Amino acid sequence: MKKKNKLISFLAPVVSFLLIFSLWEIACTVNEVPTWFLPKPTEIFRSMVVDFPEFWPHILVTFEVVLMGFLIAIPVGLLLASLVTSFPLVNAALSPYITFLVTTPLISLIPLLMLMMGFGLNMRITTVVIQSFAVINMNACTGFNNVPTIRRELMQSMGADPIKTYLKMTLPSAASDIFTGVRLAAIFATTTCISVEYNAGNTGLGSQIIKYSQYLKTTQSFACIFYVTIIGLIMYGLISFAQKKIISWKE
Amino acid sequence: MGNQVFSVKSIAKSFGSEKDGNYMEVIHDVSMDIAEKEFIVILGNSGCGKSTFLKILGGIEPATAGSMVLNGRDIGTAIPPEELRRFGFVFQSNNLLPWRTAEGNLKLMLQIMKLKGEQWNKRIDEMLDIVGLLDYKSVYPHELSGGMKQRVGIARALVHDPDILILDQPLGALDAITRKMLSYEILNIWKKTQKTIIMVTNNVDEAILLASRIFVFSNKPAVITHEIKVDIPVEERNHQIGQNTRYNQLREEINEIVRAAM
Ligand SMILES: Nc1ncnc2c1ncn2[C@@H]1O[C@H](COP(=O)(O)OP(=O)(O)OP(=O)(O)O)[C@@H](O)[C@H]1O
Ligand SMILES: [Mg+2]
Repeated sequence: MKKKNKLISFLAPVVSFLLIFSLWEIACTVNEVPTWFLPKPTEIFRSMVVDFPEFWPHILVTFEVVLMGFLIAIPVGLLLASLVTSFPLVNAALSPYITFLVTTPLISLIPLLMLMMGFGLNMRITTVVIQSFAVINMNACTGFNNVPTIRRELMQSMGADPIKTYLKMTLPSAASDIFTGVRLAAIFATTTCISVEYNAGNTGLGSQIIKYSQYLKTTQSFACIFYVTIIGLIMYGLISFAQKKIISWKE
Repeated sequence: MGNQVFSVKSIAKSFGSEKDGNYMEVIHDVSMDIAEKEFIVILGNSGCGKSTFLKILGGIEPATAGSMVLNGRDIGTAIPPEELRRFGFVFQSNNLLPWRTAEGNLKLMLQIMKLKGEQWNKRIDEMLDIVGLLDYKSVYPHELSGGMKQRVGIARALVHDPDILILDQPLGALDAITRKMLSYEILNIWKKTQKTIIMVTNNVDEAILLASRIFVFSNKPAVITHEIKVDIPVEERNHQIGQNTRYNQLREEINEIVRAAM
């Protein structure tokens, strides 16, 4: 019974995937939609393979920026959340700036950051970090603030020092909220990276999407978009894997 | 009576401040002398300050006034960190950490108290055995029943070999049958381990079965209204206790007191 369920949950998305792309393919063929307007999926997949050598360096750049920015954002967001929830003074001093970063549309910061840091990887990674650490911070704060009082009392009754309390009780108690933040941060990281590449420089999948659509090479443009999707899926997979490994308990 | 191991003298506890208009006195004035190996039971209505009192005794919160004397040493209004090892606390709800197995929950206590070595690891098994859960060593809390969780909580409070065991309504969340069974288990644990125990309950039968002395708290702000010595020999405390005449006398008497306090 269990095996059957597993098989179904594996097959369902495969079938729906095939269905959607077949419909797309048929619609394009029957209506003779011009390729520059909406290419057929088979053409896009072909381009993904044939033009791969051309895309590869850009895929690498985008993936590097997303991954680096994301990996830096996690400790930054966590550290900040830990400080803010542990020390009211830090909270009072920093919370306006965090709100500022969350509410400022990132696009408006890009020209400024370009001015200061150029088009290079550093500027892109910085932008990704700025945009994604805040969601981790916010969700981690929720997690830290919702630690049950009774668990604090438990640690107190054992005479645990603040560091042990944090590591052995607070952090695991907040783990599932932290993962919510991490998931959102991965989405923010990818979105941010692509929008920076739209605006700055000529490397990375974002810049290629712009370039190809300017030349009406819509097929290549779509191929790049699909590669962005694949990067997003890889990030999602990595996080799900980590979450399964780390959170093996039920509350 | 044996040695005084622990005394509280005129303990008081209040929350908030008069300035903010949320001042609340929860414990007015409570004193008790507790002898070694005694089983103290505290009875009182809900919200009268029983948990608050136990939290002071267990070093979770300081008192606002009064003092405590532990083994002849005056320790003031709060249990100092180095003395916490003498206490084991069982919470009103089991309070196990869900990401640790039964064994892991006991181990946490040893890790925090820096008790290392083979003899302590062996003690984890001994304590799980005492509460009858040795076979459930590597099971996570969500796979245990309510009664089992509470028993792990009791084993955890014993694992570091404290002198004084504090139990805050340990059986309150259980169904009647499990509750009865576990109350006999607590009796056995007391006989076996020879610990000094301070327990809160709202069940009179349980109180008489277990207690050497029963203290009845008034409603908030709490003072002690009655102190009752339960003079039933330990040998007579078993499943037949219901036929004991003294038991039934005390039961009458205490039920009367509790009814009057409502
Ligand atoms: N940290 C706190 N801040 C403010 N008030 C508190 C705090 N802790 C307890 N109180 C108040 O103290 C009173 C006594 O609470 P306590 O938990 O000690 O009652 P209790 O006798 O254990 O009740 P129950 O039998 O329902 O567990 C309650 O009115 C409660 O609102
Ligand atoms: Mg209580």
